[in-house]
Amino acid sequence: LTVFGRAIHAIARISDEFWFDPLEKGLALRSVNSSRSAYACVFFSSMFFQHYCWTAVSQPCQKEKQLSLPCKLIIKSVLPVFRCANVLEKNVEKCSISTNPNDHHITFQLLCRHGVVKTYNLTLQECDPLQAIFAKHMCPNILKVHSRLLADVMVHFPTSQEEITLSVTPMKVCFKSYIEEDTDFSRTVLTEIQLSPEEFDYFQVGVDSEVTFCLKELRGLLAFSEATSVPVSIHFGRCGKPIAFSIEDLLLEASFILATLCEAEKEAASPEPACCPQPWDRKPQQKGNTPSMDSAKPPSALAKQKVKSNPRGTERDAPGTAGAATAEAGGGEATEAPYEKNSYLYKYCIFQFHSLFFGAVSYKEKEAIGDTFQSLVTASDTEEDFGALQSSQV
Amino acid sequence: MRFRAKIVDLACLNHFSRIINTIARLAKTCVLRLTVCKLYFILSDKVANGGASMWCELSQGNFFDEFQMEGVAAEHNEIYLELVPENLSRALKTAQSAKAVKIKLTNKHCPCLRVAVELPSLSSSSRIVTHDIPVGVIPRRMWNDFREPNVPDFDVSLIYLPVLKTMKSVVERMKNLSNFIVIEANLSGEMNLKIETDLVSVTTHFKDLGNPPWASEDGCQSSEAQGRNIESMAEACIDIKKLQQLLAGQQVNPTKALCNIVRKRIVHFILLHEEVSLQYFIPAIA
Repeated sequence: LTVFGRAIHAIARISDEFWFDPLEKGLALRSVNSSRSAYACVFFSSMFFQHYCWTAVSQPCQKEKQLSLPCKLIIKSVLPVFRCANVLEKNVEKCSISTNPNDHHITFQLLCRHGVVKTYNLTLQECDPLQAIFAKHMCPNILKVHSRLLADVMVHFPTSQEEITLSVTPMKVCFKSYIEEDTDFSRTVLTEIQLSPEEFDYFQVGVDSEVTFCLKELRGLLAFSEATSVPVSIHFGRCGKPIAFSIEDLLLEASFILATLCEAEKEAASPEPACCPQPWDRKPQQKGNTPSMDSAKPPSALAKQKVKSNPRGTERDAPGTAGAATAEAGGGEATEAPYEKNSYLYKYCIFQFHSLFFGAVSYKEKEAIGDTFQSLVTASDTEEDFGALQSSQV
Repeated sequence: MRFRAKIVDLACLNHFSRIINTIARLAKTCVLRLTVCKLYFILSDKVANGGASMWCELSQGNFFDEFQMEGVAAEHNEIYLELVPENLSRALKTAQSAKAVKIKLTNKHCPCLRVAVELPSLSSSSRIVTHDIPVGVIPRRMWNDFREPNVPDFDVSLIYLPVLKTMKSVVERMKNLSNFIVIEANLSGEMNLKIETDLVSVTTHFKDLGNPPWASEDGCQSSEAQGRNIESMAEACIDIKKLQQLLAGQQVNPTKALCNIVRKRIVHFILLHEEVSLQYFIPAIA
């Protein structure tokens, strides 16, 4: 139960609301921040729960089996339920969560000691599913390390530090404070931590890269992973491609996918903080394409994706390729990741029933590489084409 | 202008960190003066500091294993830097178990003190954490602003302070009631801390504190003292927050703690540890 509570706390760092998504295999909690530059997902397999019961509700209008509509909750209302994780351990014997789709309610019931029963009834908002597609196995750089190490590293940075840069070469790993263009050097302390590859449980650097991401959002995952003491895997590529921090074990998997700043963007002198450089228009779940996505990619690429990704999107077991990835990459066809471990997580990453992409990326007119952030998710409906890609084309 | 120093001994490092912590609590920005033998942390009595000033002196040999400096010029072999001690304190905070700490004056984007901490790690090569703390170089023409303050005419009172921990808890409680505190003492070892508001007045009395002998320049201290009524109290009213900051910043009991009161003008605190001396002046509020 503590773990569940901590997961909610971790997700709370990203945004004020989160998606509550019961699936056949388990429960997924997801969240994305307002500028679409950070996405978190914690998936608890059904084995995590003592009792997991989930029923499918089929909707006749959808092509695929619509299993159940995910819904949104405001985090602030859920947090108090799981407020003090330590206290929970001691007092709560059982926690049961049930949803009633008809009247849009979810009930958390904590059965505590001494016969005290706390019941929380919260309203659910229906919404479109949220999913990030991220081809982790296609990332050239993979680091795996115990969360303690990451926490030890992050402690050196002041809590006010927003963004940090991770720079890797095969010889060393370096975390440093991110220097914005207009940094007032006479006022800021710059911190840099150098580690040797030997400190990592797994170290693979395919391409020297320097990625900058938002530290604040990550701290949630770090706190959570310390609670579970599972090692953290970091997948990333060149700057501009998202970076994924994930942990997984038998019972649960959690991923935090963050946008990274692209060096080329710096020249554009974006006034926004580095992490969320473009104010993303939150296209209200349009069924169609958002025009900006269209303009970003050459039409041919789009067309190719359309063809390929459609069928894949609906396959449950497509091993690790969100179709669009293949279109552009040209190689990297649905081969099994050399990094086997990901395949389960990855399958999960592909949403079987709704390949849903959302989020407009306000692409500048630069070429794709210059994009600050290749969208993790784009909104569309199944029949439409899948606009912008997910990330990590290597 | 160059400066480079290294601390290897953990005890020295901890001691140094504690001193920096104390300084950080007393001043938001201060001046670090480096000479061949000593380091000084100086706060000059500008209005911006509320008139309080500080002079903290330590011998570099007691802390650093390596210490090299080259001043502005041969005949002025000193460096004056303005810095935020809180930055330095934070940088050293994570060096609790360090193998070594190196401090160097560099100038990348702007003049900085680069603190490089070498930490042990599980692998064969150590972890290195570097903090670049921006500093301002103070030009020679302004050095006069930062001279050692004269010990004020002690025509009033010089007395040992009570146990700092006790004094600290008394002052902390008084702080809730009033913004100003009157501190008075005489030459027979008595000290009172008083606050007075519309509703309440509280006085704490300390006795048998002892008065240190103080050899004045012309050596006629004893005759002067005799000429005075040793029972008469010298008092000054000061900002209680400053007093509280001073007391709160003391993490280790000093070897000697003294206070010198100039009636209605200034209170001068002297805290002596084995390797470092700290003087703090709080002006009296009219």
